[in-house]
Amino acid sequence: MNEEQMTLAAMARGDASAFARWAASVEVPLRLSLRAFATSVDTEAVLQETLLRIWQIAPRFTHDGKPNALLRFAMRTARNVAVSEWRRQGRTEQKELLEQHLAAEVEVAPITPDPHLREQIVNCRQKLPASPKAALEQRLLAGGHEDDTTLAGRLGMSLNTFLQNFTRARKFLRECLEKAGVRLDTELT
Amino acid sequence: MTRDEELLLEQVTSAHRERGVDGAIRSHPAWHDLDDEGRREAFEATVVLRQLEAALDPRGQSSTVRALLARIGG
Repeated sequence: MNEEQMTLAAMARGDASAFARWAASVEVPLRLSLRAFATSVDTEAVLQETLLRIWQIAPRFTHDGKPNALLRFAMRTARNVAVSEWRRQGRTEQKELLEQHLAAEVEVAPITPDPHLREQIVNCRQKLPASPKAALEQRLLAGGHEDDTTLAGRLGMSLNTFLQNFTRARKFLRECLEKAGVRLDTELT
Repeated sequence: MTRDEELLLEQVTSAHRERGVDGAIRSHPAWHDLDDEGRREAFEATVVLRQLEAALDPRGQSSTVRALLARIGG
């Protein structure tokens, strides 16, 4: 049994931490596989719906013995979820564009984080000015559980001020990393 | 991109999504208010942001993964 098959077996037993490890390793390729849908559907919602379905299907999934079987299945699921959402929005008139999306080739491989890159990101985070740092920390602490209005309220900020500070945090991190020789668009994607 | 569009984009980069009455994860309301260019920029910003989040998390989990774990009770 290879590593993916062991992870799948753990997921099938209801092991949420095994699911989290697998999801963290496939999030990037899965998200990138949805790039062609970026103007048609909210890809964050599609990605979360896809991963939830994989969690639910895991006990019944039959591994074909080939590498990345679950990731390949997740990619097909993601595209099906995206197409369903697109049709639900009544955008079926864009058939040609849909076919281009479905024909787009995507790379299938999990991604392992680069420890050196991690260290540089941590260094840049420490240099953030106070308000942008607070906005970033709130998003990190919330982990997607709470909306930005709630997070802004916790900091005593209006929603707009919170979002402006979050924008500053993202830009600061990007500039700081670029000074350290990290080009985010190429290093991370 | 106008200031208002930037604020919409920033909301879309959050991993927070509501569930509909059918249990499906719903699109962020701000996503619908962005034009195609704004949606593309939101996608690319989210790709980078989730990797920054994962790098800053001790378990390597982005806010997307953490939001899912909360949904499944993990």
